[in-house]
Amino acid sequence: MISKREFRRQRREDWARFTELIRKVDNSSRRKFTAEESSEFSRLFRMVCNDLSIVRSRDWGTGLALYLNDLVTKGHNIFYKSPPSRLHQFLRFVGSEFPRTFRRNFLYFCVAAALFFVPMMITWGVVQRRPELAARILPAAMLDQAEEQYKQAEFKKFGAERAVMGGFYVRNNVGIALRCFAMGILLGTGTVYVLLMNGIVIGAVVGYVVGMGHDEQILSFIVSHGSFELTAIAVAGGGGLILGDAIVHPGARSRIDSLRTRGVEAVQIACGAAVMLMVAAMIEAFWSPAPIPSEYKYAAGGLLWILVILYLSLAGRGGETA
Amino acid sequence: MDANTSVPLEKIGVIDLYGTIETPENVVLTFRLAGPGLRLWAYSIDFLVRFLVIALSGIVVMIMSIGLPGIPMGMWLLIWFFMEWGYFAASEGFFRGKTIGKHALSLRVIQDEGYPISFWSALLRNFLRAADFLPFFYCFGFISMMFAGKFLRLGDIAAGTMVIQERRVKLPREPIILEKIQPLDRTDIGSFVPAHRTLVLIEEFLERRFVLTHRRGHEMASILAGILAKKLDFQGQESLVEDYPMAFLARVYVTFHPTMSAEDDDDAAAERAQKPRRKTVVAY
Repeated sequence: MISKREFRRQRREDWARFTELIRKVDNSSRRKFTAEESSEFSRLFRMVCNDLSIVRSRDWGTGLALYLNDLVTKGHNIFYKSPPSRLHQFLRFVGSEFPRTFRRNFLYFCVAAALFFVPMMITWGVVQRRPELAARILPAAMLDQAEEQYKQAEFKKFGAERAVMGGFYVRNNVGIALRCFAMGILLGTGTVYVLLMNGIVIGAVVGYVVGMGHDEQILSFIVSHGSFELTAIAVAGGGGLILGDAIVHPGARSRIDSLRTRGVEAVQIACGAAVMLMVAAMIEAFWSPAPIPSEYKYAAGGLLWILVILYLSLAGRGGETA
Repeated sequence: MDANTSVPLEKIGVIDLYGTIETPENVVLTFRLAGPGLRLWAYSIDFLVRFLVIALSGIVVMIMSIGLPGIPMGMWLLIWFFMEWGYFAASEGFFRGKTIGKHALSLRVIQDEGYPISFWSALLRNFLRAADFLPFFYCFGFISMMFAGKFLRLGDIAAGTMVIQERRVKLPREPIILEKIQPLDRTDIGSFVPAHRTLVLIEEFLERRFVLTHRRGHEMASILAGILAKKLDFQGQESLVEDYPMAFLARVYVTFHPTMSAEDDDDAAAERAQKPRRKTVVAY
């Protein structure tokens, strides 16, 4: 049997070379091996794996075993790395993967949409008839502010203000949607709470402003971006419900496995919702408050709603079997 | 506290710092997991980085807003949004599981099969910070770490990831100094032969003796030295066992280790030659 020292002496050249190769690509997904280096790397990788087994089975001490363990770990990390992400992958995601994933999990979206839109509509209807009830849901100061905002026939002019609002809408709305998604891991309870809460608050504000007689201003304002925004919140909620359901109904898997398996689809849906909300924020900032007659806004809003529905139901359909 | 002890880790009833996975090459790899303390430090560094980016860009925006109102402010809110929701996911997704804070503390996020973290996992584990953060400052995350094992917070469980501590990969030195040590005189000892495990233990202890002070090293060595001296029925100098137990252990090792015939010194030579050689290797 070969001695430990002999073994070290014979193998250390390879270990050093392997370390060199690792160092070459470590910490950056941009640096790559040449063709020869690739095959050299995979040959050395298998040899180092083998060395580690030998050292362990012969009980040649933790120092050497630890060293080889770490070499193999680094090699493993490089050997099995996924290809780096590129822009066209993002476009493919938005163009087809996200709507497909959305459709595969359509039922979750339906439940989330129900939890969001039904309380919204009920609150809206009730508050529109009796605006004084809104004060039970929201502080009076906030209602006054909302009314003040829509009282003016003309919105503040284009320019400075709008760009700021664009940034604000992104941060605020995407934040709400992602929080709504994330809290789904608390067995879905967080998602349900956020959906109900936002549904009721939005319903109350709209109902109140409409009830006070500013219906044209507020409806023409929200119709356009509402298409992307409200839908996206329900979409993100659907993602959160997938997480919750994965834990509650794991099926044949363990709960953790189930969560892990379905987590990928859930986060893809949440990510798609975030993209939709960024689109919504741009519409809300630059189009919705435009000083043009309401008819144009209703027309554009209608088209946007159709666009959203078509996008979610049809995008990426052709390639689905391919 | 090092890996690969022969006692199976499951049998030790303590919080386990090591995770193991089996690779497709049928090799079992051990990972040193990162606990909440280290991760809090890394988080603090990242927090500072994010805070500084937001604050500094805020100052720039304030200056720019004098000439160009609106747009810089909107951009600043986008930066803020990105620091809030994108910073961790983007750095872990694109820099193979490392953020600036994790890099500073040599931590890395990997998939629990040992693969590099995938982009979607990076996104998922970091979106779920919002849930881990509840009800205040990562309470749920901390509770999850304590109960799920492997220090997984909710985001880690869902994304199938774990945070590990990386060590500097360095070939351990042979205890070269052993070459100069004389074996024990055969007439001083009985017929007892120490087990292979014992010799391995001595070797490792001597390899790593530099991490201890001289005194502490002798203190620790004296336990084993005393037992061995008794078993070997050692008749030589008392003072060797009592005052220089490390030296005694080294001599026991040299006496019984089959390959310590002191014929090869080139290990040390290779060690010394390693630095210049590294440069030549880079060239091809």
